[in-house]
Amino acid sequence: MARAVPFSLRNLGGYPAALALVAAAALAGLAGEPWVAGGNVTMLFLLAVLVAALGFGLGPALLAALTAAVTYNFYFLEPRHTFEIGHAADLITFTVFFAAAVIAGGLAGRARDAANVTARRARTVAALLDASRALSAAASIEDAAQALADQVRAAGAGAAIVLVPENGVLRIAGGPPGFERLGAAADAAARAAWAGGTGDDPDWRFRPLEGLHGRVGLIGLRPAAGGTDAEGPLAALLSQGAVAMERAGLASAAAENQALRQADALRSALLNSVSHDFRTPLSTVLGASTTLIDYEAELKPDVRRDLLQSIAEEARRLNRYVRDLLDMARLEGGALKPRRVETDLEAVIDSALARLGEQLGARRVVRDVAPGLTAASLDPTLLEQALLNLVENAAAYSPAQSVVRIGARRTPEAIALTVEDEGPGIAVEDLGRVFDRFHRLRRPSDRGSGLGLGLSIAKGFVEAMGGRIAAESPVAEGRGTRIVVTLPDSPP
Amino acid sequence: MTRPRILVVDDEPQIHRFLAPALEAAGYEPLRAETAEAGLREIARRAPDAVILDLGLPDLDGKTALAKARAFYPGPILILSARDRESEKIDALDLGADDYVEKPFGVGELLARLRAALRRNSHAEPAPGPVRAGDLYIDVGLRDVRRAGAIVRLSPKEFDLLARLVGTGGRVATHRQLLTAVWGPAHEHDIAYLRVFIGQLRQKLEADPARPRHIVTEPGVGYRFLAEG
Repeated sequence: MARAVPFSLRNLGGYPAALALVAAAALAGLAGEPWVAGGNVTMLFLLAVLVAALGFGLGPALLAALTAAVTYNFYFLEPRHTFEIGHAADLITFTVFFAAAVIAGGLAGRARDAANVTARRARTVAALLDASRALSAAASIEDAAQALADQVRAAGAGAAIVLVPENGVLRIAGGPPGFERLGAAADAAARAAWAGGTGDDPDWRFRPLEGLHGRVGLIGLRPAAGGTDAEGPLAALLSQGAVAMERAGLASAAAENQALRQADALRSALLNSVSHDFRTPLSTVLGASTTLIDYEAELKPDVRRDLLQSIAEEARRLNRYVRDLLDMARLEGGALKPRRVETDLEAVIDSALARLGEQLGARRVVRDVAPGLTAASLDPTLLEQALLNLVENAAAYSPAQSVVRIGARRTPEAIALTVEDEGPGIAVEDLGRVFDRFHRLRRPSDRGSGLGLGLSIAKGFVEAMGGRIAAESPVAEGRGTRIVVTLPDSPP
Repeated sequence: MTRPRILVVDDEPQIHRFLAPALEAAGYEPLRAETAEAGLREIARRAPDAVILDLGLPDLDGKTALAKARAFYPGPILILSARDRESEKIDALDLGADDYVEKPFGVGELLARLRAALRRNSHAEPAPGPVRAGDLYIDVGLRDVRRAGAIVRLSPKEFDLLARLVGTGGRVATHRQLLTAVWGPAHEHDIAYLRVFIGQLRQKLEADPARPRHIVTEPGVGYRFLAEG
């Protein structure tokens, strides 16, 4: 089809132009005849033929040569106003017209062809560059497949669908909008192409997409009527698309790996925590109980009581660890589905403090909560758990006789909940990391404290409810930490 | 009679809370330190009869603390470790700890190890006298080994190994300690030798070699000779 270009509309315009050129030459010749020598008029016609040849190609040039010969003969050669040819030498003039038309027209045609090829190549390169930009931006196999189908269509190669293998079937990963399934015949052709390299069906021609490491998918082409059939650029586009799909596949595999590694890191942190943090309370339980069993008679009643007390304390501590780990696992597993109900903040604070019980020790809790403060849609259980962890953390890192402040107030579009301690505070550079799992800035002053999971659990719960959490320090006189929880206060 | 003084060095107050009454009830005088530094000071000042040392102390790496203590304290040192990493136990034993107990532990086990360590220390060199263990009679000095009264023939290496094990008096001997003592320092990593010879000794000495009662394996660490199996 590319070779048929000379018959386009633009070239058809060349014929009238050729006639006009010859007419102009004739008029100029007639007008200038009194001053121009007879032989020189041929130069005017030759000029017309050359201009037609260079401007419009071989066809118009030949037409110009023919009309030039006829016109010249008719108007300027004796006997005038007849088509007779008086001298054999005039035949040479006509031959020169035709020779000029053929040579100049051929040259011009070749030059134009070359220009056309160059322009087409430039368009192809530009299209491939566009395609490669679009393809390399693709983050997933789906994106890459869709980009490839779009680029094939944009390149004028007709509609395209891209199929990728998934669990043993070929799935449409990209194609015209709304195109969701292949007919049975097309599907069979696609499977044949996947297995053997080609597969055609009345609608689609299927070809494999070969990446650097093997076959990544299949493209089905439905050439548009009259569309270009440029094999080279299309092949380049397809191989680029295949590589892009392959790369996207590798990238998502790498991301999956990364996620697995992170999960592994968490698991080993959990194991480490279990092996270290669980051993101490277990040692106390086992040690104190075996002491009671082995030396019951030798122990004074108050010592016996203290040992029993320590067993109870450590069992509670273990229970908290187990609770933390389960919470963490729930957050990790994404199994958390927060309820959204109207929540009474004061009631939540009451019940969190009640559950803390003796953990606060001699610390005083000061509450600054607007009476009857409610949030429109929160999960009271999650909020209580988050608050519990925050107050536990405040108690663990603050002196025995200090004050823990809990505040709650309504801001224009949120509920702000704060927990403030009088501990040593957190260095600015550590503020961002306090919510990391197992991140303990220092040994807690209270040995009964948790696994280093408290703040990250609180963060998980708060975020599950659509809230945000932040740490501020120091609070006053270079000491103290304030955790600010911002909770949404609008119905879901 | 003065009660033996036992120094417990552990940073967990809960451990002291039950160990102090347990030691007291078992007839010892418990001393207490919560940091390695305080522990070393107490060892120097009070000269305890034995030390129970936690490896996970806040101020000093457990092994460093142990090495420092060993530099001037010859008495028995028992290691407490919440970490179950074998290399750490082995390092501690090679650094001169007498034995180890893993957290969590029952006081019965700890006190048994403590008694063995104290007994051993009271006659510091391997007992020259004969040892009876079940139906075994072992006199290292006379190179006389009998099982149920019948003489047991042992190769020189087998005898050396048995003598080493018996000499530890219930304490664990690490692979390295046994290999260095019997085969020489060049063979300290040739645990395969050791396994072969332990197997031969069990064949000759144990009633059921598959379930040894006297030559007991401490997995990953070494072996222990138990008189009462």
